[in-house]
Amino acid sequence: MATPEEYQIASVPITSHTFNADRSQLAVSLNSNDAQIMSRQGQEWKVTETLSEHDKLITAIDWAPNSNRIVTASQDRNAYVWQQTTDPHTGRTVWKPTLVLLRINRAATHVKWSPLEDKFAVGSGARAIAICSFDPENDWWVSRLLKKPIRSTVLSVDWHPNNVLLAAGSADMKARVFSAYIKDVDKRPAATVWGEKLPFNTICGEYTSPAGGWVHAVGFSPSGNVLAFASHDSSVSIVYPGGPTIINVRMASLPYVSLIWTAEDSLVAAGHDCQPIVFSGSEAGWQVIGSLDDTTAPKSSGGASRFGASGVGRLNSAAFNTFRNADSRGQSSPVSGQTSTGTELMTVHQNTITNVRPYQSQGGSVTKVSTSGVDGKLVIWNVSNVSGGGGLVPRLSGMNIK
Amino acid sequence: MDTAFRKIDIDAYDEDAFLESELFEPDPRSPAHVLNDAKQKQTSVRSLLAKGDTAGALASALEGAPYGPGVDEAKNLTLQSVVSILNSTKSTEIPNVVRSLSQDAQDTLMKYLYKGMGLPGWGDVSGSVLLGWHEKLTEAAGTGCIVRAMTDRRTV
Repeated sequence: MATPEEYQIASVPITSHTFNADRSQLAVSLNSNDAQIMSRQGQEWKVTETLSEHDKLITAIDWAPNSNRIVTASQDRNAYVWQQTTDPHTGRTVWKPTLVLLRINRAATHVKWSPLEDKFAVGSGARAIAICSFDPENDWWVSRLLKKPIRSTVLSVDWHPNNVLLAAGSADMKARVFSAYIKDVDKRPAATVWGEKLPFNTICGEYTSPAGGWVHAVGFSPSGNVLAFASHDSSVSIVYPGGPTIINVRMASLPYVSLIWTAEDSLVAAGHDCQPIVFSGSEAGWQVIGSLDDTTAPKSSGGASRFGASGVGRLNSAAFNTFRNADSRGQSSPVSGQTSTGTELMTVHQNTITNVRPYQSQGGSVTKVSTSGVDGKLVIWNVSNVSGGGGLVPRLSGMNIK
Repeated sequence: MDTAFRKIDIDAYDEDAFLESELFEPDPRSPAHVLNDAKQKQTSVRSLLAKGDTAGALASALEGAPYGPGVDEAKNLTLQSVVSILNSTKSTEIPNVVRSLSQDAQDTLMKYLYKGMGLPGWGDVSGSVLLGWHEKLTEAAGTGCIVRAMTDRRTV
């Protein structure tokens, strides 16, 4: 089984990651007020530029592949659109920020460019979603707010391929589909399965999973005709709006916080379980296919060290191991075969995965996905490399649930 | 430092506060109906237990469990039924009983286990019995089942 590409980007959590169009560059935020642009150099990612303008933690980043613009959202209630321009004095190419007036009074939580890249949506703690579009007359980004009937913080947003509909998952336990139609920007959209007439802030659907729970992630299928959401009750729900039919797949493991569709009949979800799980199905039913991670063996001897990226992550640090052994086992020298001490997870990611994104597509379906997480790792997985559902159960035995 | 401000009910000043009742779909049954159901369940659970059908009794007790406000008596009756089943099951039988339950019933059972643990000494609730069930249920239904018991606002 081919091993996934694994990069130890940082020793701190990666809040969000996003690639440029040709995947040669990467924008990440490392749990701070700044975002870093990194370039692939051989088997490593090197920081080439730092985007610092926000004065509170950055919560999400999205890189528009075609227009090559980056948008960042932050707890300081602002969003910036970054565009590459030539500095008139030095002649160097720099990322120039443009402030976006979001008109929200709480943190921005999530941001995503629309498919045509002429709008973006910002979820926020102000019970609102800001839909931003560019106003060329005044040369700034203006925002219009989707407010009703959101009752709590918006945790995630995702665009329908028609550039008009928007899905949002919220802490009020609902996943919703809205119209984010902006008169001056959008052409009149064709009718979809979600509705025909779609003025701004039309609610096309409101869904919840049986046991409730915050909706951490939402995603439209490639055709836009199906919606999936992952909620804090450790389940993934797939919505077919016709009926509406809601298929709820309950998991035996911890909740997912991010998901993407890889094809019309399959999706990848990841989260507190530390491994990406593949789901597959149709309107007749959905089930778990397996994990992209081979969880039958400890990972420390593999991936990370292969690239010479001597991880300073919590679980890789030699100093940390020394002190841990001294503390827990009364040993003062490092022991070989650390992995049997039981604190290392059997997964590649050693902590919650916070982000799943498509990495490579072929013929309309995603063939590789990238994940980043609290352990500071970025991992690129081959979607066809699924190890059997059996990998899900052994994890439990190692989890000390006595 | 003065921390009294932390105790202020800020929702009282928010016209648009998010209310407890908005967190879940209310039970379509009326409180009287729920109580009646719970009483009938108790009888049927007793007769199933007398026949030695533990799995059937547990599934029946957990189906349509009362939740939400205003049904405390029904909740107590159901908890009593569930606890009596849990107490009378042999520990070797537990894994099979747990596996025979539907996912819904497993999630509901987990809620009752936690409720029981929160009421030590209530009726004939026994901590060691509950922990035994908790271990076996977690083995069968995973940590996801615990997460659902904690997440679900339809408290039993």
